[in-house]
Amino acid sequence: MRLVSRAGKPVEVGGAEGLEGGRFERLLLPHLSAGFTLAMYLTGNTADAEDAVQEAILRAVRYFPTLRDDDARGWFLTIVRRVCFTAYRTDRPQGSSMISIDAVGPQLVDNREQPDLAAERLQVQQRVRAAVDQLPPLLREAIVLRELQSCSYAEVAAVTEVPIGTVMSRLSRARARLAVLLHDVVDFGEVV
Amino acid sequence: MSERPPLGEAMREALPVYEASPSLQAWAREEARKLDFESLPPREAPIRSMRSRVWRFSQWPIAAGLLVAAAAGWGAGLLRPGARITSSTNATTSELVDAHVRSLLPGHLLDIESSDRHTVKPWFAGKTDIAPVVVDLADKGFPLLGGRLDYVDGHTAAALAYGRRGHTINLFVWRTVPGEPGAGSFAVRGYSLLHWSSNGLSSWAVSDAALSELEAFRDAYVH
Repeated sequence: MRLVSRAGKPVEVGGAEGLEGGRFERLLLPHLSAGFTLAMYLTGNTADAEDAVQEAILRAVRYFPTLRDDDARGWFLTIVRRVCFTAYRTDRPQGSSMISIDAVGPQLVDNREQPDLAAERLQVQQRVRAAVDQLPPLLREAIVLRELQSCSYAEVAAVTEVPIGTVMSRLSRARARLAVLLHDVVDFGEVV
Repeated sequence: MSERPPLGEAMREALPVYEASPSLQAWAREEARKLDFESLPPREAPIRSMRSRVWRFSQWPIAAGLLVAAAAGWGAGLLRPGARITSSTNATTSELVDAHVRSLLPGHLLDIESSDRHTVKPWFAGKTDIAPVVVDLADKGFPLLGGRLDYVDGHTAAALAYGRRGHTINLFVWRTVPGEPGAGSFAVRGYSLLHWSSNGLSSWAVSDAALSELEAFRDAYVH
């Protein structure tokens, strides 16, 4: 799991643990970056993603009393997603505002590798990004939640507000599309 | 090339995850703190007021003058028989002036004090369905002071406060309803009002500054 964790520990509000503010910090703030990552993949740019997370936090504060302790991440991601899809219309047909993932991708190539091998890995990474980039938004969010954010099928279903069967079908369609583009460099098991 | 990674591994290796910026995290923490004050009556919550910035001692005489003027206006309107406001435009403009005067009472001008539009705009988003355009116009001589929620003439209004050479301009924004007066300028009890509409939102600028100042403000705000 490669979720980025917050740099610091949540700061309790003046030792007011047990107050709603402290509960919010403890439950919700650790998932801010997960929400931001989802927003980045849905809106395609930092400014909209930040706005979406801000809006999501405002809504989260408002509806916070309805949150149970055990499901903060899914609950917050659901709000982020709703904001993205309503306010930023990320469900438009083709990802015209899609993220230019190339610009921000991590450089995971080990310098000690042989040059040709390093170049090959870099090329594979670029192809994977481009392939995910081309997915329709609903398929892309399903595969990002599942594979990148390590959500269970049930969590993906909760966040995207569809039945689990729909999630399975979206994931398999996403995998099939990716397989067409990436089968020579990624192992898709029996999906192909 | 012989060892192909499974999809999850390939994606985790290729796709970035992002970290929320420190300012976003700090802002979220700030918002979380408000939860602890929500059970208190709204006006007693320790909201930041503009007192320190707007209400210097030198301005108290102005405030007193405004209050006297407002009281005189109210008195005249209420006590004189037959002087009741009849036209809906007059009612609206009169209420706008009342709201403007009320906002100048100490601690009433701003619920959110900031010249940063990125702070002010989302503040409204959580409290009303109106999303006013929030811009700092300091470079054009109208610094953004902040915003507040107001209730004017039956509308929930987003109010933005701007400064102008010692004057305060209140910009009230609400959802346009059928039958509202068209764009235009008004003078009520010594105050200037300027009205325009766009994108389904009705905007009213109110100030004791001259009408020409309001027009300059509108032009700066709209562009």
